[in-house]
Amino acid sequence: MSERALAERFNQVVVPHLADALALARWLTGNAADAEDVVQDACVKAHAGISGYAGGNARAWLLTIVRNTSYTWMARNRPRAVMAVGDLGDLDDMAAAHGTSRPDEDGPEAGLIARADTAALQAAIAALPRPFRETLVLRDINGLGYRDIAAMLDVPMGTVMSRLARARGLLASELGRAP
Amino acid sequence: MTGHDDGLPNDPEGIRLMIHALVDGELDAAAALAAERRIAADPRLAAEHARILALRGAVGSLPRPDVSDAFLARIAAIGVAGAEQQEHAEATEPQMGAPSAPPGLIADAGRGLRRTAEMRPWARTSPRTGRFGSFDWRAMAASIMISAVLASGATQWVMFNGAEDGVADAVASGHRRSLLAASAIDIASSDRHTVKPWLDARIGVSPPAPDLAQDGFALVGGRVEVISGRPVPALVYRHREHLITLVAEPRQGAKIIQPDNLSSGGFSMVHWSDGAFSYWAISDMERPELDDFVARFRKAAV
Repeated sequence: MSERALAERFNQVVVPHLADALALARWLTGNAADAEDVVQDACVKAHAGISGYAGGNARAWLLTIVRNTSYTWMARNRPRAVMAVGDLGDLDDMAAAHGTSRPDEDGPEAGLIARADTAALQAAIAALPRPFRETLVLRDINGLGYRDIAAMLDVPMGTVMSRLARARGLLASELGRAP
Repeated sequence: MTGHDDGLPNDPEGIRLMIHALVDGELDAAAALAAERRIAADPRLAAEHARILALRGAVGSLPRPDVSDAFLARIAAIGVAGAEQQEHAEATEPQMGAPSAPPGLIADAGRGLRRTAEMRPWARTSPRTGRFGSFDWRAMAASIMISAVLASGATQWVMFNGAEDGVADAVASGHRRSLLAASAIDIASSDRHTVKPWLDARIGVSPPAPDLAQDGFALVGGRVEVISGRPVPALVYRHREHLITLVAEPRQGAKIIQPDNLSSGGFSMVHWSDGAFSYWAISDMERPELDDFVARFRKAAV
């Protein structure tokens, strides 16, 4: 494929999804300014690897690169933040155990969640442990399907489902607690 | 609630995951129906369903980061860089193969055109004969190709001639927009040693940026403009209360153009080229003042 065709493909595959890329990077790095740097790095990588894009979901393809770039960037610029979370396996065990240990506990009323203010919701998302946060953002902000998320995170679909349920459960109880 | 025979999990955690999957549109029709029945039958599941819906709605309506023009220009620059390398490569290649190609093409094309002319009345009189196989498709393809070449040549010529006007319009609207925006500049600095590297890092181009503060024209910063789909550097100077946008499009080896007045619509605009850059200066100042700026800039930039 010629360079010109590759440039054309870059414009079709990458550019339409920049807003999604920025949103994901913003939630993974924690702020909008860093997100621009991360997405720019990711776009350089996407441009270099555009010939490897084999069709399919362009947004998922770009977001996979953005996610990897975010973590590389975080490891370089904020090594402490990356190390703060424990082993992923533990978290999934915890999610599963937590889910079954309180099957009867009722969450807050739906109306309370719907009325929660933007800042409280953003703070609650930012406070989620990383595996839950990225699953929630990929699903509810980037709009990816379970299958795409499972492929991106390289985990079984059941894990995506339990992380998502756990993330939403944590957000709901956090927002329900707010006055 | 146990003993359902609808294919959904019966443990509380399993059914919870199914409700999430229902809300996310991940269930097929049969499973969705089964899940909806369970929800209808169990107030606790209905409350969970409503909670998930509310949460999804809230998260989905969070403000999204917007893609600023400056950021889009940075990303566009990544794509443009690759295409330009190719243009250099292609500039040499086709010329080597070119001399042999046209005669054959033209002969084929001529044949194709004649054949099309012959076919037409026949096709009109008996459209359902179905003898399309007798078309010489190679000749047809060649004739289409040659008209495409002629057409694209014409397009290029038209675009080349209209280009200057198009750029002037883009520069003018960029300047107007910058006056309306919260900040007219992406990098605020009176120090050319800050502005130049900033532009260089973003788009790999940095025009001369003399500080003319002593002449009454202070450099206040720079930004990236997108003109004809390409990112170009723009410097911003201030003269009393007026801002001057100076767009500098790299044009290595272009002919030198003396300052030319392109003012319109309440803005003064002057265009010139020094062989390395093509400049457009625009401001709401009076024309003589802008001319003064241009003269001082040209003197300082050499």
